[in-house]
Amino acid sequence: MGFLNWFAKPEPAVQKLPSGSFTVDRHGNVMTSTVGSDYPQRLLDEIAHEVLSLFREARSAQMPLTGLDMNFASLRVTAREMQGGAIIFLTPQNTFTTLSPAGKDSP
Amino acid sequence: MEERHKILVLDDDGDWLDMCRDFLTQLPSKPDVRTVSSGMRALSLLDAQPFRVLLCDLKMPRMDGLQVLSIVRRRFPELRTVALTGLPDSEFRSRAYALGVDLFWLKTDMQQNPKMFLDCIEALLGRDDGGFRDVQSKSLLDVIQMESALRNSSVLRITSGQETGQFWIQDGQIIDARAAGADGEAAFWRILKWKGGTFESLPAETGHIQTITKSLDALLLELAQAVKKASNPTPAQEAEETTFITRLTAVAYEGAEFVVTVPAKKEDSAKGWGMRDVDRLAAWTRLAEKAAQRLGEKCGAGPWTHIAGHNLERHLLLVPEKGRTFAIGWPPEADPRRLFEQSKRLADTWAS
Repeated sequence: MGFLNWFAKPEPAVQKLPSGSFTVDRHGNVMTSTVGSDYPQRLLDEIAHEVLSLFREARSAQMPLTGLDMNFASLRVTAREMQGGAIIFLTPQNTFTTLSPAGKDSP
Repeated sequence: MEERHKILVLDDDGDWLDMCRDFLTQLPSKPDVRTVSSGMRALSLLDAQPFRVLLCDLKMPRMDGLQVLSIVRRRFPELRTVALTGLPDSEFRSRAYALGVDLFWLKTDMQQNPKMFLDCIEALLGRDDGGFRDVQSKSLLDVIQMESALRNSSVLRITSGQETGQFWIQDGQIIDARAAGADGEAAFWRILKWKGGTFESLPAETGHIQTITKSLDALLLELAQAVKKASNPTPAQEAEETTFITRLTAVAYEGAEFVVTVPAKKEDSAKGWGMRDVDRLAAWTRLAEKAAQRLGEKCGAGPWTHIAGHNLERHLLLVPEKGRTFAIGWPPEADPRRLFEQSKRLADTWAS
């Protein structure tokens, strides 16, 4: 019966949005993570790299930041600087999520 | 009863304002001293009531002193202005004088020479003629018109600094004028352009040669037209000023510290208001935009809507709007939950 599989449509690959938090050291190595293990490590590394790079550039532009929130249509990336490294929270957004750019109700 | 002159002091330092108020009330003319801590408040007060002198600090958050002075210069040309600063910077001094301030004082000099400072302010309060803004021309014109109305004959000798000039008036008409290097009508116009000086009336000289044939009325009409042309801003200037005021009002209303607009193209320069080092922030803003764009694509999170950064000194919001990104600074005490809406609103007003 295996030949019937030839006619089966391939399942569309939907990339899941990450949810959880992870910490990175100053070199961008992920130290701890609560993000699901099915989420590609490569993408967590990318997020860590971009966040650390923005903290670093802000420092060299004489405006060091302690926190950074990047808000997308369907994801919010909240990062807190920690001695060169960072703790990063990933929160999927939907229509019912209340947007708050930074601060009090941040994780 | 003689009306007391009003002095407005603008500075973001409350202690300094208190000190200035106590200090200026010692003036012999006992002026009414008002103090304000923001440029917007100063402009609205100047709009609401007449002031004689404005003492303006140069280094202030949001709207700095040079911005205030440039607006004041256009909107309240008769107001005497004194620039005060704690920074002994020659660039500040030259920029302030370029804006037409009457005096430039360092705060340290002011404290070291209080008597001289008070004398200067008293002189500004009492000065009804001389100086800039056609005041001298008007009082000189008053005399000419009076001579004309009385059909007098006389010679008016005018001295302005190193320069001297003369008007010959015969039966109420100006028949000749001379100033260094010019005579006739050219000398008449030159003398009226002098910013200040003194004049004296001398006995008429009979038989003086007539070089000006236009009637005094015709000359005055030409003068009025020239003054109107010079003082009336063009529609483009008016529109620019309106835009500027609208933007400042929006910034003051929302309570932002600075606004920097960063165009998408790197070759277009960023423009800032309320911030000195615009380029550095613009460079970081472009980096953040690109990083957000890359992350949005890689994670499948869609386009970025805004980026917020913060430290102990301020909040920073990046908001895309009509092909450019607004980087807006907010004070640390601002409510972060409202900043996105506030930034969006401010960017909308700014862009419109």
